Amino acid sequence: MPTQATRYSPLAQIFHWVIAGLIIVQFVLARLAEPLPLGVHKLALLARHKSVGMTILMLAVLRLLWRLWHPAPPLPPGMTRFERIGARATHVAFYVLLFAMPLTGWTMSSAKNYSVSWFGLFTWPNLIGKNEAAFDFLRTTHDTLSDALFAVAVLHILAALKHHFWNRDDVLVRMLPFTKAARRSR
Amino acid sequence: MKLSMQLIAAAGAAALLGSAMMSASASAASYAADPASSRLEFTGVQAGAAFKGVFHQFSAAVDFDPAAPASAHIDVTIEVKSVDSGDKDRDDTMRGADIFDAAHFPTAHYVTRSVTRTATGFSAIGALTLRGVTKDVPIEFKFASAAAGTTLSGTAELKRLDFGVGRGDWKNTDWVADSVKVAFSLDLKPKT
Repeated sequence: MPTQATRYSPLAQIFHWVIAGLIIVQFVLARLAEPLPLGVHKLALLARHKSVGMTILMLAVLRLLWRLWHPAPPLPPGMTRFERIGARATHVAFYVLLFAMPLTGWTMSSAKNYSVSWFGLFTWPNLIGKNEAAFDFLRTTHDTLSDALFAVAVLHILAALKHHFWNRDDVLVRMLPFTKAARRSR
Repeated sequence: MKLSMQLIAAAGAAALLGSAMMSASASAASYAADPASSRLEFTGVQAGAAFKGVFHQFSAAVDFDPAAPASAHIDVTIEVKSVDSGDKDRDDTMRGADIFDAAHFPTAHYVTRSVTRTATGFSAIGALTLRGVTKDVPIEFKFASAAAGTTLSGTAELKRLDFGVGRGDWKNTDWVADSVKVAFSLDLKPKT
């Protein structure tokens, strides 16, 4: 049998875990900022939220390019058609959200006439002009997509744990750094 | 005969016109800025990103003769509640007690004390009263008078905290820069 990659490449693992960590930071920053009145604290939290969001967007571009040239290792044998479609749909949803979240956030900031800075180092151009109605719509969209992202992430984590502890395959381990894939399939 | 009379008349008219121009330039002309076509803009930096705002309501009285800048006088009164930074939430915050406190300090005022010519235009030192605090702020400006109109346009830079613009948390300069740039373009109409 020809040897086929059974693990994600180190770079794919770095993309996965760095972006996952940054997404958790994003949820925390957003939750902290949301109840605050317009003030320095809110500005500071949202400024970090925007900087991290733009970082995720840049990483998402690189990650998508990497993924296009380096396909994911195949799913373990024995998964049902339903499971395969579910896995595929979850991953596609992640990629869509990785772009949709920062892009709606960036556009929403532009619509509110608050330009997005990247950690104070440079300022991103406004994507659209000041537009109150667009801001309200984008804000709602950004919120809704964040709920969707949360749901997809929960599904993704539960599925990974199910693969690891129930099916006892290498689906989780092959994305974990510092591990060797010992088990191949269920 | 007829021709020479005309020449004399023309020469006399030219002399009259010339002396009229002389006297006009010897004393500063008085102007008022047309509010509709004048602009008073500032640029702040918030969370690392610049934002622009304008004051919609202000009046400016200008006495200016480019040949005698020392006698010039520029006097501007600004209604701070007319601030417009393109976001209502930010504008309301700026009008509030911690920033401009428009309820207690409804106007800002700038009046020049001395104007001098520079290599590229003019510079002035004037007193800015903002939020009840008066401090000197220099401005650089150009004066352009042509058939199309008379314009006085220039820039200034000031530190908002010199005037107490930013109390409490808003004193923080990591997220809202101390330095604020001001740009203005006054469309001057002769006072009648």
